[in-house]
Formats: sequence, structure tokens, C-alpha cells
Amino acid sequence: MQKHNQKEHLYKLLVIGDLGVGKTSIIKRYVHQNFSPHYRATIGVDFALKVLNWDAETVVRLQLWDIAGQERFGNMTRVYYREAMGAFIVFDVTRPATFEAVTKWKEDLDSKLVLPNGKPVPTVLLANKCDQGIDVLMNNGIKMDQFCKENGFVGWFETSAKENININEASRCLVKHIIASESDPVQSIEPDIIKPHLNSSKIVSCSACFKS
Amino acid sequence: PAAPPPAPPGFTDVTLNSRNTYEVSRRRSAPEHLPHGGTAAPAPPPQEPTERARHWVGIAGAGNSFAEFFARNFFTKKSKELKPAVQSAPGWKLFGKVPPRENLPKDSKIIQQEYEARTGRMYKPPPPSARRKNIEFEPLSTTALILEDRPANLPAKSVEEALRHRQEYDEMVAEAKKREIKEAHKRKKIMRERFKQEENIASAMVIWVNEILPNWEGMRATRRVRELWWQGLPPSVRGKVWSLAVGNELNITPELYEIFLSRAKERWKSFSETSSENDTEDAGASVADREASLELIKLDISRTFPSLYIFQKGGPYHDLLHSVLGAYTCYRPDVGYVQGMSFIAAVLILNLEEADAFIAFANLLNKPCQLAFFRVDHSMMLKYFAAFEVFFEENLPKLFLHFKSYSLTPDIYLIDWIFTLYSKSLPLDLACRVWDVFCRDGEEFLFRTGLGILRLYEDILLQMDFIHIAQFLTKLPEDITSEKLFSCIAAIQMQNSNKKWAQVFASLMKDNKEGDKNHSPAPKN
Repeated sequence: MQKHNQKEHLYKLLVIGDLGVGKTSIIKRYVHQNFSPHYRATIGVDFALKVLNWDAETVVRLQLWDIAGQERFGNMTRVYYREAMGAFIVFDVTRPATFEAVTKWKEDLDSKLVLPNGKPVPTVLLANKCDQGIDVLMNNGIKMDQFCKENGFVGWFETSAKENININEASRCLVKHIIASESDPVQSIEPDIIKPHLNSSKIVSCSACFKS
Repeated sequence: PAAPPPAPPGFTDVTLNSRNTYEVSRRRSAPEHLPHGGTAAPAPPPQEPTERARHWVGIAGAGNSFAEFFARNFFTKKSKELKPAVQSAPGWKLFGKVPPRENLPKDSKIIQQEYEARTGRMYKPPPPSARRKNIEFEPLSTTALILEDRPANLPAKSVEEALRHRQEYDEMVAEAKKREIKEAHKRKKIMRERFKQEENIASAMVIWVNEILPNWEGMRATRRVRELWWQGLPPSVRGKVWSLAVGNELNITPELYEIFLSRAKERWKSFSETSSENDTEDAGASVADREASLELIKLDISRTFPSLYIFQKGGPYHDLLHSVLGAYTCYRPDVGYVQGMSFIAAVLILNLEEADAFIAFANLLNKPCQLAFFRVDHSMMLKYFAAFEVFFEENLPKLFLHFKSYSLTPDIYLIDWIFTLYSKSLPLDLACRVWDVFCRDGEEFLFRTGLGILRLYEDILLQMDFIHIAQFLTKLPEDITSEKLFSCIAAIQMQNSNKKWAQVFASLMKDNKEGDKNHSPAPKN
């Protein structure tokens, strides 16, 4: 079936977080449907493209920017943030330090990048390697919801690139928020409202966000 | 947002496929007499087939023991002439031709006997055999073709028909024979070329060992040596030449290395003790910083040439890589560990003894370009990118404009290349050849290599949009060959209106005032 009135969206998404948390693995799983424990360290930035048939008349093309995790590169990777529409911040549930770094990453992101309407870009938090059984979050879902609200994440997911858990869901959640923020330019006048919260209550079907 | 034109479908597929063909060719070109030949290689993960190909190369260039083994085999082989390589690998050629063997014609006779036994006829020497005598070379593809009279229960062929069939048969045999002789020639030619190549390496090695290395300072800059150098260093002298070329400005001795190594080991010990005690929340910031460096090393080592299976935990070079990197962070706490270093150290470890690898590593990272990158001195890096773009525009104006139209700046692709000196993005043997000439020509050659890569793929890149170019350049096709790449690099002129790299770079350093902000990649056109 040829779709004549198809709309096409191109979104640049950042995938950031500490070194070795599994950013590349998540992208490989998401885009190539496979997993290997043997990915090489990312230096600078790597790229991937994912095309989603969002609905009957919308195609979404996601440009994924897989950005090297070493903090030292901070200055250098700033240029990679430009014009991104959304972001995943990833941490490794088996390494508490990577979770502590999450707020640093979020602050860094928000300080360097805002949407044209002045708001922070929608960001989803990924608690990766949840298959490892050494989950530092264990039964801390409520705390995590709180953490997300306080830090302006639109949602969080426990993910596993290895077992293919929640990655598609996380992406759909992020894309939904991006689309919503795009079609919602009117509210740009009040930049201080905690937007993600409003958004998430509006989009009911995004059940995985703020799960309890 | 303004979307770039939709990508031609299947672009990513193309690169994926090329990877597979690469694997095959690389496997064939791998020396068959290496200790880890096909038999012992562990089954690698399917996701990154070429890493396995690198395995061969890595071993071939690895450490002294392997190099010696290589050289030993190399010479014994010469005396045995061309035979062993062909015959050492019978079977495993499911779809290729089986090499001709003496007993094949006999096989076909047996087949014929069996056939006749089954059809109830006695075996008698087939009439064609006499006729076949003058064919000294039995084409394989016709051995299944049996010219027979009709079974007795059918009416016999007419004379003309029998004649015609015989003639057709002869023609087919002759045709097949021609084809196979041609293929045999081709095979022989390939073998000849391979052996010629190996002979070249062997004779080059003799020259390096007997003439050049003993007179290093006097000869290194001569035209003859520079030309020989460009051809690629023989693996057995590679480490030595790299060491000499990189030099030891820092005057590091093996003893000094031991000192820093033991300091690193102490630190690891205390690090692992403290981290196991209080593994959560607040640690002192400065201590945490330093220890983060150690943890990063641990994390990155397993992600350095992962499919070689030699740097990973339990692998033969794991501790070595750990030691060299750890000692370096103690030696240069001002630089510390930066991602990308593990690849450089790994390549050095594959070619040098431990202390020599450390000395070369520390001195290499002390070169201005490497220091700028590994200190993540952003403004200096931008100068290097700007100089690169001067030569980019000069050499490849069309592609330069194409990249400009997508705001595709060098920081998208050059960072990986420069940080790892191409060891991550090119096949390892090819990366070593880049290192060879980098040791000869200095930093300029790193950027020249980058331009060589762009030139090699110019036609493809001109057809691509932003994301596909970015994907392509951050994951180069793995079937890239040294002949093609080096001829492209050779075609890159490092002259811009009579200014050479160093001059262009120096003049960029002068006008420091120009803003750094021109360099910002954007996702669209």
C-alpha cells in the first residue's frame, strides 16, 4: 500500500551515560536485534538509524548518537548535543557509581541543550543490565519514580540489551514525549512548569512510565 | 524538523554484506602455517566476524615468539617450494573446486565400475580410455560424463549419431580442459604473487636487519629506506623500527617502568580493598577521580580488540595491557587514562616487549598531536581539524562541499581515527601499516590517511546523506585492502599553495582569535 500523505519525522536522539553501562549494546539491540558481549569501546561518537512506522500516516526516523562515556570527553562531546530532540541517559544497575553520575549527565545535558521553545529535551532514564540479578534498585521503583520527577526525566525503564527487555518500550515512550512536545508549542511561555509530569499524565497509554 | 532525503534502502545492508565477503577473503589470505591456524581458533561470535580475521593478523604480528615462529616457518617453506600450502588444506572447500589429485582418474573408473555393476553389466575397459590417452590432463568437471553405448535392450545408435556424440563429447572435454587449465594458471599466479610478496618481505627483512638497523641514524632519512618503509615494515622488525622512530625523548628506562608499575599495583590493591568495603555513595572526590581512572582501565581492557581473545580476562595479554596502562597513569597523572589509549597500548604490546611497549607508549603520547587529543584540549583539537579541512578542500573539493552541506564536521569521524591511530577502525594489519608510515612521517600522516580513506570511498560518500556518511565513516567496511588504501593515500597531496602541513598548522595556531564555534555538527541539511 502506497502511503501518500505519510508524514516523516526525523529525530536526533542522544544516548549518554557513564563508560561501560551498555549504550552501544542497547543501540545494537534496538537497531540490529542482536547482542554481543564483545563490543569495542566507543571513541567519540557512533551512529545508528532506526526507522519506525509510528502509525498509519507517520514514519519516524531516529538518528541515534552513541556518545563516548568518559567524563573527560565532556567538553568535546558538547558539540554532539546540538539539535537533539530527545535523550536516553543510561546507567548500569550493577555499578552504583554509574547511577550517581546520572544527575551529572542530566545537568550537563540540560545546560548545553534546550528545545527551541526553551524547555529541556525529553529524556528517558534506562537502568540497564537488569538481567544481572545484582540490581541496586531492587524494589525501589517508587523511589525511582520520585527521582525521575525531581530530575525531570519523562520516564524510566529497567532494560537489558542482552535479554532484550524494555528497549522498544523505552524508545516508544521517548518518541511519544517528543511528538507531544513538538505539537505543543503553545505552552512554551511558561518554561518553569514541570513539563514532563504534565506530559506523562496526558499520554495515558505510556503506561510503563512512572510505573509503580 | 527538516529531514534529510530518505536513505536509499539497503545502504546498511550493503556494508554488512561486504563485511562477510571480507571475512572469507581474509581467511583465505591468512597464512595457513600459523600455529593457530583454522583448527585451533575458537569459534567466534557471529556478530563481528571480522574480528576473527583480525585474530590471524594479530597473532602473526604478535609478540616475539609468534614472530619467530612466523619467520621460521617462512624459511622452511621456501625450500619446500610451492607445494605445502596447497596440499595442507584438503577438504573444507564445499563450494570451491577440489584441487586436482593424482588418484582422481582412478576414482572415476571406480565410479564407472560401480555404475556398471549396478546396471548389471560386466566391467570391461571402456573404449574411450584408449582415446583418452592423449589427454594428459583429465578435466575434473567431465569425469562424471561417461560416453557409453546404449544399453543392449535399446536399439543401437546409428553410426552418424554415435560419431556425432563422440565428437560432442570430445568438444565438451576439450572445452572443460581449457577452462580448468586457465583456472589452474590463475591459481598458480595467485600463489606466485603471494610467494613473491612473502619473498619481498623476507628480503626486506634482511635489508632491515643487516643494513638499516645497524646504521639507523645514518640511513633512516635516505630515500631508499623511506621507500622501503612505505612498503610496510616486516612484522619481525616492526616493533624495533617503531621504537627507534618514536624515540625516547623522555629517557624512560625499564627500571623506571618497574617503579611505576609497582606503584600502580599498590594502588590497585588499596583500590580493590576500599571499593569492596564501601561500594556506595560518597567517596572523596579527588580519590574517586583517580580511582575512576583505574576502574576505567579495567572496563576498557575487556573492550580492546575483544575478539582477539588475548586482552580479555584470562587472556595471555590481559595483565600486560593492564600493567602498561596502569603504569602510565602513575607516570603521567596529569594525563591519566583516556579512552583510546587501550587500543594504542594493545597494538604496541603485540609488537614489543613489555618495557619497550611502555617506553614507546609514553613517548608516543607525548607527541604534540597525541598530547592535545589525550588531554582533550578542545581548542587544539579544533586547530588540527581545521588544518585537516584545509587539505580536505584542496584534495577532494567535491566531497568537501558535500560534507559542508550536511554540516558534517571532522569531529564526527576524525576523533575515533586520531585517538586510536586507526587501530580500531581499520583491520589490524592495515592499521599497522599506517603506523609504519606514521612513525616515518609523523602526525601529518594520520590526517593524510584520513583523507586517503575519504578519497577511497569518495564516490560512495557522495551518494549518501548525513546519517549514512556518519555511520559509514565510524564503521568502515572491513574489506578495505592495503593496496587500495595506500594508493589513495599516496594520491593525497599534503601541499596547500606551497604550504606544507606544518606550515598550515602553524598559521592556524597564529590566528587564535578565530572562534571555535564553527565546528558544530547538526543532524540535518
